[in-house]
Amino acid sequence: MWVVDYRELIKILTISDLKVKYQSSVLGFAWSLLNPLLMMLVLYLVFNNVFKNSQEHFALYLLIGIVSWRFLANGTTTSMGAIVGKPSLVTKIFIPRQVLVLSSVLSSFISSLLEFLVLMILLLAFGVKISPNILFFPAVHIVYFVMVYGISLALAALYVYYRDLNQIWEVLLQLGFFVSPVCYSISTVPEKYLFYYMLNPVTLIMQIYRKSLLYAETPSAESLVYILLSACILLILGTAIFKKLERRFAEEL
Amino acid sequence: MLDDLAKAVLRPNGNRGPNSSAILVEDISKRYRIPIEKKITVYEHLIGLVRGGACSYEEFNALQNVSFSVKHGETFGVIGPNGCGKSTLLKVLAGVLYPDSGKVRINGKIAPFLELGVGFQPELSARDNVYLYGAIMGLTRKDVDQRYEEIMDFSELKRFENMKLRNFSSGMYVRLAFATAIQTNPDVMLVDEVLSVGDESFQKKCGQKIDEIRRAGKTILLVSHSLGTVKQLCNRCLLMNHGQMVALGETEGVLAEYARMMNGR
Repeated sequence: MWVVDYRELIKILTISDLKVKYQSSVLGFAWSLLNPLLMMLVLYLVFNNVFKNSQEHFALYLLIGIVSWRFLANGTTTSMGAIVGKPSLVTKIFIPRQVLVLSSVLSSFISSLLEFLVLMILLLAFGVKISPNILFFPAVHIVYFVMVYGISLALAALYVYYRDLNQIWEVLLQLGFFVSPVCYSISTVPEKYLFYYMLNPVTLIMQIYRKSLLYAETPSAESLVYILLSACILLILGTAIFKKLERRFAEEL
Repeated sequence: MLDDLAKAVLRPNGNRGPNSSAILVEDISKRYRIPIEKKITVYEHLIGLVRGGACSYEEFNALQNVSFSVKHGETFGVIGPNGCGKSTLLKVLAGVLYPDSGKVRINGKIAPFLELGVGFQPELSARDNVYLYGAIMGLTRKDVDQRYEEIMDFSELKRFENMKLRNFSSGMYVRLAFATAIQTNPDVMLVDEVLSVGDESFQKKCGQKIDEIRRAGKTILLVSHSLGTVKQLCNRCLLMNHGQMVALGETEGVLAEYARMMNGR
């Protein structure tokens, strides 16, 4: 199995990815945490004052949405360039190419965990009651990781052939931001669209995080099964696309 | 269908019978696409669809129906003029390129020496680069720990282990890479003219090391322009031209055929 055989390379590449990200500026690490907090502030001001949202703990509600969305957005955007960004490891030597995508997604995953750590501290600071339901978070975050990895495999492979994919993906992410409940509550979605709206697995993930972290509720079994299934499908689909396109990577780079 | 494609290149599987070959190449062909008009964006593809038009690339046969096998412990040479498909063949064997048809089977752990120092990072120290390069070649941290001293001895770079790689001379760079790569302890080595690294004394050292590996019963496939080296090292040779096999057999005979071919033009 390539993951086991190349674990050392995966580790080294992940760490060097994180180093590049956090050492490029003095405030590097601080910025990556400040960014979601500032975004929360902006959205809070807009949605609390302009749209008069009545959600309990709305600031934290927003922050959970933002931090979980950031993992998908940052993870897929940086991993898209994982193959194109390291041409010599593709054309001059044989390594399983998934290693490059996996280590890129892993570094985003670690960043995301750090952001969630800050989130937990804020939850405590705001006096949110912590329940044992918090234990759902690590398991669900791993499922979310598989989802992001599956999408990234497909994107990284397609990006080798279509170099304007990053522009297209940016627009799609923008769309995704608004069709997921990042900055509004699900109760505002019109009844007739609700069925389609809930098909988005990211919506369910955000809901599970909010329930288990913020409202001390147990997430429903159906939602857990649904996201697990979507993660499996995305992983299989991503792997199939990657395997098919991988054959000409060395020629196209 | 997908599965069949994926199986076209079989990765090292380690099991080897007494008389099995180390490298088995069955009827492989490889065509490159030479685009007439390079399209690398969705936008360009859409424009292309609207305009219509025929096939947007020409094909170039880099390898045509190449078959041969190399036994365990054999040193096998591949020779031919520039552009004859030697490097493509090596890349297919290394698993970097996939053949369009045919099968490649390699028994045992393979170490491709297509280019030395792939993945080296100039901003890291020599020591970190040894670990990085080792990981690229599939070694674990423990493996590299055990062999670290030997690598530093062989490359004669112990004094510089904490220096950043960007301050290395090109000779030092290649020495470090060769010393690390050789430690992967492969069963099958693919070598693309890397024997010509460093100064004379280091070349001699590399030559000795390769000889040592040869005597230890490892399989070596050597691609070279230096007919002297080929004559000295290889039991058997393959001569290629225009992606096709011209001659295959004992080194002596194949070299004579090569001389005849070059004079004939």
